[in-house]
Amino acid sequence: MRPSNFDSYWDNVDAELAALPAQPVIEELPLRSNEYSTVYALRLTSIGPYRIFGYLCVPTGDGPFPALLQTPRYGSVNHIPDYNDRLRYVCLQIMHRGQRLADQPYAAAYPGLMTEGIDDPEEYIYRGIVADCLRAAEFLLSRADVDSNRVTIQGDDLALITAARRSGFALVNAAGLTFYELADRRHESSAYPVEEVNEYCRAFPDRTAAVESTLAYFDPLHHAQALDADVILSVAGDSTRYAPLAEALSGGCDFYELTHRGGTDHDAVDALVAGRLGVEPMSRFIRAFGQ
Amino acid sequence: MSAQRLPPDQYEVTVERPEDFDTFWADILERLGNVALDPRMTPAPLRSTDEVETFEIHYTSLDGIEIAGWYCRPRAEYIAPPYPALLLVPGYISEPTLPKSWAKLGYAAIGVAPRGKLRSNGQFNPGYPGLLTHNITDRNTYSYRGFYADAIRAVDFALSRPEIDNARIGVHGSSQGGALTVVVAALRGDVIACGAAGAPYLTGFMDAASLTHSNPYEEINDYLRMHPDHLDAVTQTVSYFDCINFAPLISCPMLVYIGLEDDVCPPETGFALARAMRNCQAELHTHEHCAHDAGAYWEMAEVEAFLAEHLRPAGSGRPEMTVG
Repeated sequence: MRPSNFDSYWDNVDAELAALPAQPVIEELPLRSNEYSTVYALRLTSIGPYRIFGYLCVPTGDGPFPALLQTPRYGSVNHIPDYNDRLRYVCLQIMHRGQRLADQPYAAAYPGLMTEGIDDPEEYIYRGIVADCLRAAEFLLSRADVDSNRVTIQGDDLALITAARRSGFALVNAAGLTFYELADRRHESSAYPVEEVNEYCRAFPDRTAAVESTLAYFDPLHHAQALDADVILSVAGDSTRYAPLAEALSGGCDFYELTHRGGTDHDAVDALVAGRLGVEPMSRFIRAFGQ
Repeated sequence: MSAQRLPPDQYEVTVERPEDFDTFWADILERLGNVALDPRMTPAPLRSTDEVETFEIHYTSLDGIEIAGWYCRPRAEYIAPPYPALLLVPGYISEPTLPKSWAKLGYAAIGVAPRGKLRSNGQFNPGYPGLLTHNITDRNTYSYRGFYADAIRAVDFALSRPEIDNARIGVHGSSQGGALTVVVAALRGDVIACGAAGAPYLTGFMDAASLTHSNPYEEINDYLRMHPDHLDAVTQTVSYFDCINFAPLISCPMLVYIGLEDDVCPPETGFALARAMRNCQAELHTHEHCAHDAGAYWEMAEVEAFLAEHLRPAGSGRPEMTVG
């Protein structure tokens, strides 16, 4: 159920962010740069205040370029943006608080992050993590070298939530949702990180209602109405599970049914995104050399 | 001008085996053997269930570095000991597996966190990117010298547990975990009964870096772009750590599975690895149009059956999918 104070909860996050200057510092990383793309270390201030990190990559040549914001995965490490993406887009991979390169003073535990402060939505770690992603979106969308009509955000629930709260994305490329209907569906999985929530509720059964209440603030279903960008949602198997989400979205939603063959799936989704942003599709698997 | 990529099974890797490869590793194993293991187990009730007990573990490895991990074993009332052991070794950026789902199958399962991984990074922390090229011009201080030793050391942890049947110890992982599977099976052939390696990384290092721009091998391309004069030193160092050079040492049954469109660990190197496993019974499973997933969607059932055939666990269920 959508919390009654859902809007004010998130408005307060926005207000906290707005009160803090981002104070961006950008430093070139020659070791990671090449003739086609320059890679920078980016540092920004998010709520807390907390200093977060990102890899910003800018193609060589005259912009503006289409852009790609990659939200963090669940884990301590995020790779530098992919080589092919760096050729075509301004890329920003953000590390949220607690992840490597943004792990001082706070280092996230895995497992552990998923339930940190989960009894109280005001204390839940994901309140800050979403703010980190929102801060990254503000930064990327404001850059002069970014074509503001051609910006995609990709990732999991964080990509959907971020796009719902910051207009300017043409497309959301989402996969691997964890928070979607998590309170209701967590019993269906014993895989991590969902199992972290199950473990917590088994250990503290009297807190289960509070946990489920907190999770509702992060369910993309409740953010969907505010999301007017088009969405590509990659799903494994029956997509009807996601029908309520698709129906709630203000923009369009296309399902991509995963084949579980990573080469096929990558190339198909890459082509969908590239087509929307007006660049050439590229396969990560090199089929010919010297091109 | 462009050249089409050859079929991956026709590619010849350029890896050379150093003459002192065996003595290099014998020396490391001797040093490792001289370090007191000092195994410690701390119950983790939050991560335990009615069927499985979970512990946070620590032990000491090469250079006195403290290594962390997870240990999950069936509760005695669920499945009585002794148990076969399964070492789960991690991918490059993934966190060590908390192997509860394997313990539910009847394994005493150890999720290893070699140095630099979270909870094992207090004394050594080259970061990501960084691990692959840390001291890459010197085999005696290269990151993977200790990293491999930490995975090997997990075998000693298993041997220290009275509830484990020492004749039934296996190892499994994908990507970097696939590489560690190969290394552990090669250097602890006295103990390891079988290994299942997905999308093996750290295999044909220099060939792989020339066949892809994907991470993490791109770290080598980055490094050599910055330091082109280090090419010979890098090539020499990584030859001491190349799974193709470990493969002939393996004598236990092995399962290797790869994706034929793997941009991270090129399939050419997987074929070369399987060919180099000439002294053991090795199965190579290949998956069309699969990338670094290495066909895990289908292959996990094969892995589970392969390990069960050789290690004979007493439980049932489905393990969590192994990721690299």
